[in-house]
Amino acid sequence: MQVQFWGVRGYVPTPGAAYLRYGGNTCCVLIRGARGEPLVLDAGTGFCQLGDALLEGPFQQGQGELTVLISHTYWDHILGLPFPGLVHIPGNHLRIYGPDSTRGSLELVYDGMLSPVYSPVYGLAHMAATHDFQPVSTEPFAVGQLTVRALPLTRRAHSPIWAYRVEEAGQSVVYITDVRYTDDTIWRQALAFADGATLLVHSAPYMRGEAVQDYGHSRVEDAIELALESRVERLLLYHHAPTRTDDELDAIVAHYRAELAADGHRLQLDAAREGPIVPL
Amino acid sequence: MIVRIWGTRGSYPVARTDVLRYGGNTTCVEVRAGERCLILDAGTGMRLLGAALAQEPDAPRQYDLLITHTHWDHIIGFPFFAPIYDPACRLAIYGLGRTRSSLRATIANALSDPLLPLGLEHLRAELHFHEIDEGCAFALGPLRVRTARTNHPYRALAYRIETDTAALAFVPDTGPFHTVLFGDARIEWSGAPVPNTPAELRELAALRDGIIDLARGADWLLYDAQFTDAQYARFPHWGHSTASQARAIAEAAGVAELLLFHHDPHRSDDELDAIVAAQQAAARPGLRVRAAAEGLVLRKGPA
Repeated sequence: MQVQFWGVRGYVPTPGAAYLRYGGNTCCVLIRGARGEPLVLDAGTGFCQLGDALLEGPFQQGQGELTVLISHTYWDHILGLPFPGLVHIPGNHLRIYGPDSTRGSLELVYDGMLSPVYSPVYGLAHMAATHDFQPVSTEPFAVGQLTVRALPLTRRAHSPIWAYRVEEAGQSVVYITDVRYTDDTIWRQALAFADGATLLVHSAPYMRGEAVQDYGHSRVEDAIELALESRVERLLLYHHAPTRTDDELDAIVAHYRAELAADGHRLQLDAAREGPIVPL
Repeated sequence: MIVRIWGTRGSYPVARTDVLRYGGNTTCVEVRAGERCLILDAGTGMRLLGAALAQEPDAPRQYDLLITHTHWDHIIGFPFFAPIYDPACRLAIYGLGRTRSSLRATIANALSDPLLPLGLEHLRAELHFHEIDEGCAFALGPLRVRTARTNHPYRALAYRIETDTAALAFVPDTGPFHTVLFGDARIEWSGAPVPNTPAELRELAALRDGIIDLARGADWLLYDAQFTDAQYARFPHWGHSTASQARAIAEAAGVAELLLFHHDPHRSDDELDAIVAAQQAAARPGLRVRAAAEGLVLRKGPA
């Protein structure tokens, strides 16, 4: 199993020279199993770049099938879906798992997002690639050789945010984003879900004490605490704030690595960056 | 008039190394005259404008946002424009009214659950929505505004912004004026052009005349040049032009400078350089051709 980030930014894309090393496209992660089958987590604008890269091979011939797992339906996690070349080639198929939201299904959300008011696609029915939507549940399911488990993490009165755990041959990647641990129940659920993971990808746009308007996000300290308590081998901070430059991310990583080392922890810590393949 | 370009990209924003010079943020242009601050489109460039305003001593507190249409690339910067959370700010928003959805509802729905955790009630600034149409003319302080309809799916507006000494024409999204006539209905595209009826050809010619009239003699024309010829051949039903089609309109309108705009997300800086060079070489004498770049500032007459 290997992991490649195509979008690491939260909220809004941040093009520009100050964000090049970590990346400025919004949330999108590609996981490939041992047999190479692609599995995508979230479809922010990083999906536009990924979708173009996937055009080599079966997707160019209209014979590709891609599974996309959506954590929740905020812009930075879904807006990239209708753009890349592979969705304009008939014959390709998208299988999209996501929340059955309180305001209608994922399919309705996408249909509204692609309505003529917002998009020249004029609704889902006119996307060239075929697609099917699967409401995600806590029942494990298989994508090729990969096993996927999902956990709903409820936030305020809104639709649940789904966390995902992808496993193959004893390795596991856990993906948790846009969560604020407001009560013990959610915290304990997340701990059990992440238990012993090879890699934890966790949103951490802020640090403790930063004055920010909070829309329900976790802080770097929360991600580290979760990783330590659930005995994760490696943590990648994710969903970087739009104001966070490369140099700031370098400094954050260095600061918390030093704290971990001083406390004798063996957790490997880094900030997720677009581009390089992360082997497990 | 001072014009600052904050976003030049079309379709979706791109963060890549090969677009640093022309920029990866989607469409947003600021126009200043006297105390007035007018904003054309609310793409991701609008976040940068908000950040710049926060650094400006005595920044204006009143803004006029003129939206060409509400496709995502033209509105996704809006919730990241810091002044909308400032109760001391006032924002007047202009755009097309639709039978399907009012301008206010279109913006409100985009910001609300399940797409975002915001509603208009979370925006602290005073908001006013004004539905306008093609063929409008009105004044915003020292700035005179005119609108025309472009040839784009579900229709879109183009704007002319003018003072006594300078004129800017803003046409970010339009197809050429042959092959496809866009209205409110979706265009079926089977891969081969469907011949237009004589009535459609007359309407296309009228749209073209309207855009040329809007841009007539302007100092700057920002014009949709998203597609290459090959892209247009594949996606004519998306409503975008090529650089040579943009130049033809600029020449017919007699503008001083054409700024290619709404760059395709795939187009690299080097490719844009080559496109500009080819269009400049082909341009009639007196027409300057550039590609709009993020951060570019244009000035003419008193600020």
